[in-house]
Formats: sequence, structure tokens, C-alpha cells
Amino acid sequence: MLFFSFFKTLVDQEVTVELKNDILLRGTLKSVDQYLNIKLDQISVVDELKYPHLSSVKNVFIRGSVVRYVHLPGNAVDTALLEDATRREAANSGGKAK
Amino acid sequence: MSFFRFDTNLPRDRGHNSGAPGFSQAADPFAGLSGRDNDDDDALDFEDTYDGLGDQLDETDDAFNDDTFGGGEAVAAKKPVGMDFDFFGQTAKVSDAISEEQARFSRQPPPAKVAPSTSMFTQPSAKPARTGYERYKEPEYMPEMQVDANLWGVAPKRSTPVVAQPLESPSTPGLASGGRKMMSLEEVEAAMRAQAKKPAPAQAPVPQQAPAPSHPQHPQQYSQAPPQQYQPYPQQPRNPDYPVQGSGPPRDDARSVPVPQPVQILQRNQQQPSPSQAAPPQPTQILQNPNRYSAEQQNRAPAVQHPGHQSRPSGSRHIITHPQQLANLTEEERAAFLMEDAKRAKRNHKIFLLSKDNGLMTPQDKNFITRIQLQQLVTATGNPNEHGTDAGLSEDFYYQVHNQIRGGPRQHPGQPLSNFAQTYLFQTGGRHGGMRRQARGGDNHMQRMEQQVQRAVEAAKNKPKNKQLVIEGSLGKISFSNAKTPKPLLNIKRPESGTDGHRPGSSARDRRPPGVNGSDRKTVLRDIENVYNTLMKMEDHARHMPPPITDDINPELVGLHMDWQEKAKSLNEQLWQQLKIHEPIGGPSTHPFIAFLSYSKGKKAIPRVFRHITQEQRTTILTMIVVHLDQLDVVRQAILLPGENQVNAAVREQVELFSLAVMPPLFGFLNEAELNIVAAVLGVICSRVNVDVIARTRIGVSMLTMILSRAELIKQGGDIAEQEWEHWVGQYNTLFDLLEPTLPNIFPGTVHTGEDVYVWQFLAAIGIGASPEQQQRLVMAVKDRVMETVALSKTLPAEMSSQRLANVNLFMRSIGLDVDLLVA
Repeated sequence: MLFFSFFKTLVDQEVTVELKNDILLRGTLKSVDQYLNIKLDQISVVDELKYPHLSSVKNVFIRGSVVRYVHLPGNAVDTALLEDATRREAANSGGKAK
Repeated sequence: MSFFRFDTNLPRDRGHNSGAPGFSQAADPFAGLSGRDNDDDDALDFEDTYDGLGDQLDETDDAFNDDTFGGGEAVAAKKPVGMDFDFFGQTAKVSDAISEEQARFSRQPPPAKVAPSTSMFTQPSAKPARTGYERYKEPEYMPEMQVDANLWGVAPKRSTPVVAQPLESPSTPGLASGGRKMMSLEEVEAAMRAQAKKPAPAQAPVPQQAPAPSHPQHPQQYSQAPPQQYQPYPQQPRNPDYPVQGSGPPRDDARSVPVPQPVQILQRNQQQPSPSQAAPPQPTQILQNPNRYSAEQQNRAPAVQHPGHQSRPSGSRHIITHPQQLANLTEEERAAFLMEDAKRAKRNHKIFLLSKDNGLMTPQDKNFITRIQLQQLVTATGNPNEHGTDAGLSEDFYYQVHNQIRGGPRQHPGQPLSNFAQTYLFQTGGRHGGMRRQARGGDNHMQRMEQQVQRAVEAAKNKPKNKQLVIEGSLGKISFSNAKTPKPLLNIKRPESGTDGHRPGSSARDRRPPGVNGSDRKTVLRDIENVYNTLMKMEDHARHMPPPITDDINPELVGLHMDWQEKAKSLNEQLWQQLKIHEPIGGPSTHPFIAFLSYSKGKKAIPRVFRHITQEQRTTILTMIVVHLDQLDVVRQAILLPGENQVNAAVREQVELFSLAVMPPLFGFLNEAELNIVAAVLGVICSRVNVDVIARTRIGVSMLTMILSRAELIKQGGDIAEQEWEHWVGQYNTLFDLLEPTLPNIFPGTVHTGEDVYVWQFLAAIGIGASPEQQQRLVMAVKDRVMETVALSKTLPAEMSSQRLANVNLFMRSIGLDVDLLVA
């Protein structure tokens, strides 16, 4: 839930999604769900020359399982809050596991 | 055993015809000679082996041949064969009855419910809506449906066919004359033949029309309609057995016979006395049945139902009731008509396809399904009420707090996920509200559904450990993997013993007696995490503060407050313990609190800690920091060695963080402190801290500036005890003496680096409080730097130059001088 919760705050921010097949897609994050499936709008492929077939694609839905990284916009992340959220998550899941 | 003395040997026994060898057979190299030999042998063999049983048979009498093949007197005597083909005889028997029925029917007033012709045209669209509830209502409404059977076109049919009939004569001449009354067998058969031979031109001027009305694949009533309407007779012989069956139990017929027959009976009943024995109520029943079972039957014969009920080309502007009319149209009109017709046909087909499952579920069924779906929805999204509370907040903490902080689009932290299910419930409730009021019975499904959802939510909350739930009536298990726990792939169970059992290394360290408390990295980091956890608990606790006590005394509220404060106190104590402030000072290793401060997240915790502790505790922390000022990492590591212009980046970052995170709360606290505390702090610095070291670092200098300026402000505010001020001045003098040797070295780097603002501030702070004699010493100590800076500023661009001079001026003004004097 932490990641879902986190990515929800990045909606309408520009992110770069790196897929497991090395394609990097930069676009506006439109939505994300609990599987971390991602909808991107106004995408551009970072290495346009290598993936010309994607140059005309304007928006994508990415299955969460094929995402390797999401490059975040640093100024949209509240690090201290994220730390606390992580602690809470750890406390919650730790409590459940025990 | 040859009954007719045939050669009973199978062809394979005789061998294949060698003249035409099969695929797998090689051509006979002996050109069939060998085969012929075999034939001869077979013939001989047969005679030899024949056992003569056949001779015992009595083959002469042909006793039962008549039974088998008919003929002789047996036909007349027994008459075993059905009279299916005897149309005339059968019709003659029932014609009277039919005539009577016809007469009775024509005397009936036209049923009020049916608008004679329009209903015919609107029926196709009305019908899908109608079929939905028939099965559901069947038990009660059966009788009523019988009465209402007129709806399906019993009465109106009278008018339309009568109009159409005369028009029909040109295209089917054989029918017209006899059509009104009765047809002879010859006529019927002739018509049948004619229809069979050339159905298309007569019946189907529209090309895509189906030739035969019972064509099962052709979907459209539009194509089916004209034959059904104009030529009821030619079709009649197609079901020649019907009259015979008609005399049997009619209910059975209705269920067993294919649907076209009831329909035709109906038509014949209306149009003329036709040879059917069906009694008056029976046709209507027959009619009902196809309609009621339409859903199932249409799979087999999709078009069958339509001719009877909705066969007219509906909604057309020219209502083409006859092919002839179509022929008279111009080419364009015809094309338009055909197009329109095709469109309509397509639409009707679509409606028909969609409607074929109508009525499979009753409204109760649908509500039941909706309930189950809602239950799943609720289990999937969680209890709507739980959001905004602790559970919801902890699940979605980052998002909700982030949105609060950044002023996200949603005002409520609980809004995003939660209200989905509730909103949905609300909406459906609202939508069905009107219906509920209209509903005859008191069955408010929605209420029951809402209750059931509530119960399901309760159940789900009570038993969250079950990974699945079997809701009664659902076809399978409903998994509890929901939005919060999408799919538990790994389920690692921790041993109950906790961490001590299987981590001997760490436990050994943990058990170290507090006195020898090591400040190794792991321990410190764990301490910091503990502090954070407690801090979060305290922050949560702060949110739960009960409403303030008002004037009227509410014992419950007071109790809540007591509880709350008790909890807050215990949390505070916990936090204080975890900060390890009270570890004895001066141990061999670094004090735990100072170690705590050497990590950046430890530094970041300080502002939050300060919010939750008492004034006294703040004083303790300030004292603790000041006492260890020269041991702080940001002081120890920030001392510039000779020749160094800058400390390394990591240390600079730490220094930056310390001045952003730790200094402001200390500064804020000191700004409210009394002079005695300020003096005491300064005394601690003078007595316990290496002033030379701290004076050469930014944090140390900032701290001193902070203390000195606060004292100056208190003095300017007046109203201070003489004794306290004396004490302060004593401390100040001590500091000045300690500081004086260091003064030339307090500037970081050379004059060119330009990061000396804080030093000028510090010098200003000292200068204000200094006596004239001390000011003299101060100027002497830093004179060189002042002159350098002034000289440098002349070479710099105007903006930077004025900036530098302003920095210097901070100090100069504090001792009553101005840099302009030097510049000029």
C-alpha cells in the first residue's frame, strides 16, 4: 500500500518509467492502481531512434509487473513524510507478521 | 440364408473388382484371372455348405405381406395409416366449429387495450420489454394473460389481412379465388407445388427475403412477414399433420409442436373457417406459450415467433404491405425503402439478439447478484467508514498526509478510496427511491441489500484472517485479496520467539550493560528509529486529543482528558528514555545523544522532538548540546586544517542540515529563555568546551552568536536584575579572553572565498556587548581581514562589492564605526 499510496501523489507529475525491456517512457502519470499498473499520457520515448515504433504513441497503459524503475520528480517527493510512511508501513506489516 | 436368393456374400468376400483396383490395392497382375477362379470356387462352396435351413421357411404364403406392404382388403378393413394427407376430410370435420368460432369472434367488440393498427407496428419494440417478467409472474398472472392474449395481435389481425388479401391476388393467382372460404385439396397441393418451385418471385420481391417462412437462420420478421401475411394457405400444407394433432390435448401440443404451427392456427382462425379443431381458448394458450418460452425457443427457430406477433414492417413511412406496392415505387424510393428496411431489420435483429435472454433473471435474481457484487466491492475497497480513521490513515498514510500538506484536490483525507462503495450504495438507493415508492409490495430490495452489505462488512471485519469468504448463494469463494493486500505471494512466518532467538550477534550487543553503552552504528540507528516510532505515536496521540473542556463539566470528557494526558505523559517518558539524554556525561565513548545527533535523521528528529517535550526538557537538550559542542560531528569535522579553504562536501551537507534542523529549535527556545539560562549556557561553554575549536567552526560560531545576541536583546529589553547582569558580564569577559587568541583564525578560508557572513555577524554580536577596551582589542584582531575585504571589494563588481562591504559593516557598526570611513 505504501507504494500505491506514494504513486498516487505523483499523479499529474512527469515521470520516466523504465520497463524491463529497457524502454524508457517519459510522460505524465495519469493514474496508478494497487498493482502499480500505470497510465501515462503525452509520452515520449527517451531513445526515440531505437524505438521508432513508439514515436506515434501518445498514451500507454503499463502493466505494473513490467516496470523496472520509475524515475521520480524529486521535488514532488516529501522525503521526511515518506520516511515516516515507511516506518508506519513497517510497523503495520511487522505487527501483522507477528 | 438368402431370403430373396441374393448372393449374400459381401463384396469383400468376393474380392474387389479387379478391373478397378482401389487406392491401396496393387493392380492385379493376372488381369482378373485369379479373381474369376475365386468366384467359381465361392459358388461351389456355397452350394456345398448350405445347411438347408432356408428350405424350412414357409415362403409361399406371403401371409403378412399385406401388413408390411399394404394392399388387398386389409387397407380398407383396418385403415392403419394416418390420414395426414386427408386435408379435406379433416377440415370438413372441424369447419363447423371453426365457422362458429369465427362468427363469435367477429361479434366481439374490438378489445379496448389494442389500438387496431398502431399496436401492430409498435409491437416489435414493445415486446422485448414485455418478455422480461413473464416467467417470473407466470403463476399469478396466467389467467390474466389469457385474457390479454389480444395484445399479441389476435384481434387486429382481422383488419390487416383482409385489406391485404385482395392485393395479393395478382401475384398468387391460384390462391385468390379460394382463399376467402375454403380450398380444395387440389388447390392446396397446386399452391404448395408452386411455392416449392418458385418461391422467390412471388413472395419475395425484396431480394434478400427468405424463400420459406420457416427458414431458421434468417432472422428477420421483415423478411418473414410478407409470406406469412399474404400466403397463409400455401404454408398450411407444410404442416399437414397439424389437424390431426389439433384434435388431441391442446396443452401438450403447445409444448411439443414447433412454434410455427400455433401461429398458423391462429391466423387461420381469424381469417376464415379453416380446418382446425382448436377450440377458442386454445389458440390463445398456444399463442402464449411461444411467447413465454421465446427465450429458449428462439435459439432453435429464431424467426418463428415474429410472424405471428410483430411481423409488420414497423415504423416505415410508406407502409408497404404488399410486394406489389414495392414494385410500383420508383427506383430511388425503392432503394430508400430497402435501405430503411434493411436498417430496421438490422436494428430489430440486434434488439432481438439482445432480447433473447430477456426474462432469464427475475428482478429478485438481479438484486441478489447486485448484493453479492456490492459485498465484493466493499470487501475489496474496505469499509468506507474506516477511512479517515487510524486504519485508513496508516494504510494510505503518505497519500493522505501528502495531500493535506500540499493542499491536494481533495479536502478530506478519507475521500479518495473510501467513498466509492458508499457513494455507489447511495446512488443506487437514490435511483431506486422512486421505484420503491411505486412498488406495490413492501419489498425494498435496496434496504435489505444495504443491511446485508453492512452485515457483510461486519463479518469481513470480524474475520479478516480468513483468506476467502463463501457468501451464501455465490458460485464460488470470494477471495479476500483486496486492494490493500493484492496477492500474498510470500507468507513468511516469523518465529514467535522474536528477534533475540536467532540473532545471537545483535542480542549480545543488546544485552551490554547500559553503563558500557556503546555508540556503535547499529545501536544508534536503532535508537533513532525508536525515537521516530515514539514520535509518530505521540503525533497520532496528539490528533486524538479530546475536545477541549468547556464550562459545563462533563465527567466523561474530563475522564477522556485524564486518560489522554496520562497516555501523553507515558509517551513523553518513553521518548525521553529513548533519546538517552540522561546517560552519564563523560563516559569513555561518545555520549549516545551526541551519537544520535551525528546521523542526519537524528538531526531531523530534533525539531519534532522539541514539539513534544516540556520547557525543562528543552533546556536539558540545549545544555546537552552545548556541553558537547566541541564533540559534535559538525564541529569536530568542520575545523579547517591549515591550507584548506573548504571542508569536504559531506561535512558541509551535515553542517547545513544541522543549522537547518537543530539550530532553529534551539534558537527558538533560547529566544524565550531568561538571562540566567543564557548566562548559564555561556558559562558551560567557557568552562567545559574548547572555545578555540568551536570558534573556528560555523556551528560553534553560530551558537555563540545566538547566545550573545540573545543576551543583548534581553539587556535592551531592560528590566533585568542587576545581579544577573553582573553574572552575565563576568561570563562574557571570560569568553572574550578565551576567544581573543582565536580571533584571527575564525575566518574560514581566505578573503576570496567569501563565506564569512556568519563570522561578521558573530563579531558584531561580540562587539555590541564589548567594553570600549574590548572593542579596541577586537578591532586589532580582525583589522587585517577588514582591510583585505575592503580592498577586495574595490576589484569586485558593484553588487558583490556592496554585499561584502555590508557584511563588514555589520561588525563596524556594532562598534560604532562605518566601513565608508575606510573606503573613502
